[in-house]
Amino acid sequence: MTTLMSEAPEIREQDLVPQRPWSKRPTSFWLAALLGTAVPLSFAGVLYFTTEIAAPLLLIVVYLPLQLVSAGVAGYVAKGKHGILDSGLIVFAIGSTILSAVILGSMLATIIARGFEALRPSFIFQNSVYISPSTPLDYGGVGHAIVGTFLIVGIATIISVPLGIASAVYVTEIRGRAVPYVRFFVQAMSGVPSVVAGLFVLTVFILTGVMRQSALAGAIAYAILMLPTVARTAEEVLRLVPEDLRTGALALGSTRSRVVFNVVLPAARTGVITAMLLGVARVVGETAPLLLTALKNDQTVVNPFSDPISALPTFIFDNVAQPYPDAVTRAWGAALVLMVIVAVLFTLTRLLSGRNSMNK
Amino acid sequence: MAAETPLRDLSNSKKANRADRAFSRVITGAAFTSLIILAGITIFLGAKAVPVIQDQGLSFLTTTVWDTIGVPPEYGIAGMLYGSILLAVIALVIAVPVSIFLAVFMVFIAPTRVSKFLTNLVDLMAAIPSVIIGLWAFYVLVPPAQEWQSLLNQYLGWIPIFANESGNFTGTPFIAGVVLAIMMIPIVTSVTSEVLKRTPPELINAAESLGCSMWTMLRYVALPFGRGGIVGGVMLGLGRALGETIAVFFVLKIVFDINFFNIIESGGGSVATLIVSKFGETSGDFEVDVLLAAGFFLFLMTLVVNMLANLIVRRTERLKS
Amino acid sequence: MEETVIAMEALDAEIARTEKAPKQIEMSANGVSVWFGKRKVLENVNIDFPKKTVTALIGPSGCGKSTFLRTLNRLHELIPGAALAGEVLYEGDDIYRQDVDPVHIRLAIGMVFQKPNPFPSMTIRGNVLSGLKLSGLKRKDHDELVEQTLISAGLWKEVKDRLNAPAGDLSGGQQQRLVIARALAVNPHVLLMDEPCSALDPASTLKIEETIRELSKDITIIIVTHNMQQAVRVSDYTAFFLAEENQPGFVVEQGLTTEIFGNPRDNRTLDYVNGRFG
Repeated sequence: MTTLMSEAPEIREQDLVPQRPWSKRPTSFWLAALLGTAVPLSFAGVLYFTTEIAAPLLLIVVYLPLQLVSAGVAGYVAKGKHGILDSGLIVFAIGSTILSAVILGSMLATIIARGFEALRPSFIFQNSVYISPSTPLDYGGVGHAIVGTFLIVGIATIISVPLGIASAVYVTEIRGRAVPYVRFFVQAMSGVPSVVAGLFVLTVFILTGVMRQSALAGAIAYAILMLPTVARTAEEVLRLVPEDLRTGALALGSTRSRVVFNVVLPAARTGVITAMLLGVARVVGETAPLLLTALKNDQTVVNPFSDPISALPTFIFDNVAQPYPDAVTRAWGAALVLMVIVAVLFTLTRLLSGRNSMNK
Repeated sequence: MAAETPLRDLSNSKKANRADRAFSRVITGAAFTSLIILAGITIFLGAKAVPVIQDQGLSFLTTTVWDTIGVPPEYGIAGMLYGSILLAVIALVIAVPVSIFLAVFMVFIAPTRVSKFLTNLVDLMAAIPSVIIGLWAFYVLVPPAQEWQSLLNQYLGWIPIFANESGNFTGTPFIAGVVLAIMMIPIVTSVTSEVLKRTPPELINAAESLGCSMWTMLRYVALPFGRGGIVGGVMLGLGRALGETIAVFFVLKIVFDINFFNIIESGGGSVATLIVSKFGETSGDFEVDVLLAAGFFLFLMTLVVNMLANLIVRRTERLKS
Repeated sequence: MEETVIAMEALDAEIARTEKAPKQIEMSANGVSVWFGKRKVLENVNIDFPKKTVTALIGPSGCGKSTFLRTLNRLHELIPGAALAGEVLYEGDDIYRQDVDPVHIRLAIGMVFQKPNPFPSMTIRGNVLSGLKLSGLKRKDHDELVEQTLISAGLWKEVKDRLNAPAGDLSGGQQQRLVIARALAVNPHVLLMDEPCSALDPASTLKIEETIRELSKDITIIIVTHNMQQAVRVSDYTAFFLAEENQPGFVVEQGLTTEIFGNPRDNRTLDYVNGRFG
């Protein structure tokens, strides 16, 4: 025993630290990667500053082919013949990623930069009565449009969320014979263009004289667009409720309705809220239906039945193509406010669904 | 335990039973809202389309006139219908490769943290309202895009699709297509990455154990496996592109003549945008009916595309399960 | 010497159990056959369940024991494609008769499942009382009921200070006892248990077995188990289920637990209880 012990090799300190030997790459790999990106980039850069060739041309005619060739060479050096196609794939994949990131970054940066020019307390809290496109930015604001957006979206939520949840409950809890049809129609409805939803409300309610162009009319059009989103998301989250809970409740002598209200919906609470938020996010920026069903109004409107009403998207629409710089700045300001609302909704859904998956 | 209590009398549970049946009925009724709305759209817009077709004949769909003051007035939306399809095709050609490469990067190449960040980025992109995308496109995208198009025309003008005789590069189908592509990318990317994520790990392992490169793994394992889902996602994006109104409104100059393929020539068509741009200036009830009829055909077009998309997605799902 | 004492005690216990035997019948299955779609999974099961006894249903996996259990409180019919022949009598009435409300049956015949399934959105107390809420029963003495049932389920001491904590905080064994308390709170006459200990550690298993023995003084218990020792420890009667490959399951042998394990008539039973297959 003792001899065996003494003969055991000394334990090296590095053996006690967890390591990942497979993630180490040979130096040649890093060298190849470095050369593969640095050479074409610097070559295109030099051409850009020394010649008069237009940037997009340089990008597509010079940089991209060069990058592909050098990445191919690098891939060949690092991995052999397999590496050539793989490196081409990686170049296009990274290129597409950068392209998308640049587009999104440009949008966000412009909204923030241009939006802040308009932003001031009066812009948030005042309405646009007596404001013409040429009025300076210190007067008037989007207060009425913010109220309009909240009013319209609020009513649309009240209409569409119960219907959407009912549709999901039918599919996951009642499980009637019509389930495939209900799912099919919800799916088909999600493809209805927003302008068609507006036209539908226009024909059924406004041209027939049932109601005027108002917050309610706009909300019905919004609800049509929200319903499929709410129904589909709610269906997904109700599906996640373990079957055990339903059988457990039924075994206690529960009725179907009590299973739904006391067990299934509470268990899927955060998911149902997520479904609602996703529905709101789907419609909050929709413009076309409101142009047909809510029109515009410079005053703050709180009565959803009586008057035409402005919302943030329609406010942006009205101010975009004006030949006055202040009107355009107002449009950007409204876009910033709308984007903040979207970002809040987005973050909330992320947080909620994150908590949801943690519970599982 | 008081196990000696007699059986509960049935009257109580019968009441519960009746309430339960009422509950089922209400839910079932509510579940058919989507059918009712779809039927409503078909019936009400269709009812408006019938007199328009009766009045104008099939030339409503095949001609390109928009004569509101003529006696009788004449309307034809062929240029708009064709334009909607042309824009959608341009958007597809740009968005599909970008989306697939982006999804491949997210699922197979990027480290987990980068991949999560990109998922959020794509979802945020999908959440941006179209009116904001239109605003951005009008002020930020269009000026450089004019330069790109003139370069395209300068070097590749001999190819018919890149011809431009007017020298005016604003309001072209190409720019509108690019804007639609920007709106399609997040839709197609998120569907594609979901599908690619579901590639069975045992298939990937098998490919890797055979010494497969990433490209061959994609080409022979992941993409064939996800093909149906990806096509379905593309069709969903296509449906969205056909129906998009506002973003196109800001960047496309609506002309009634059919612009067949000169994609960097100013002027094109879009049914959805036509409706919004003409709605504010209609000259009488009949023109409103004409716009409603146009909306009806737009609805039919998107409905068909959407149903095809669902059919494809569902069939592939069934094949796999 | 010691051994004899233990043996004597065991004998006494057996005698006590056997004396319980000639009792009123609480439930019985008469010629029950069960299908899923076109596949027949159970054939002609006839078992009587005497009042205030424990009956163990044993047999290898896939022989239809759990399915049989679920026909006893009409949970079986919730599975699409399910069908059934024969009759299940509870207090002399067929529970599948057309005018019988399944809700009513499930109230009288409670059930505990393999995996503990407390309602995650409710507290411990809320879970115990959930049966009242879900079935629409009215009782006033909620505190007393919570204490009573938790004592019966052997959980009271462990949770009495945190009745308002979420049920998810409990361990698996505690959750299972909580679920038993939940089932008891609606005052059932029969309790069905579908492998209630298969997901639990030995200590929790022992506690639940104690609970079962305690409960059988008041109610009828039918338990599906894979654990032969458990069947011996807790049950008065045993029915042995078996299914040949691609054939419906059937009852090979049934009777007093002491008979089935001590002196089985059928060789297959002998092989099974001695652990030679299954």
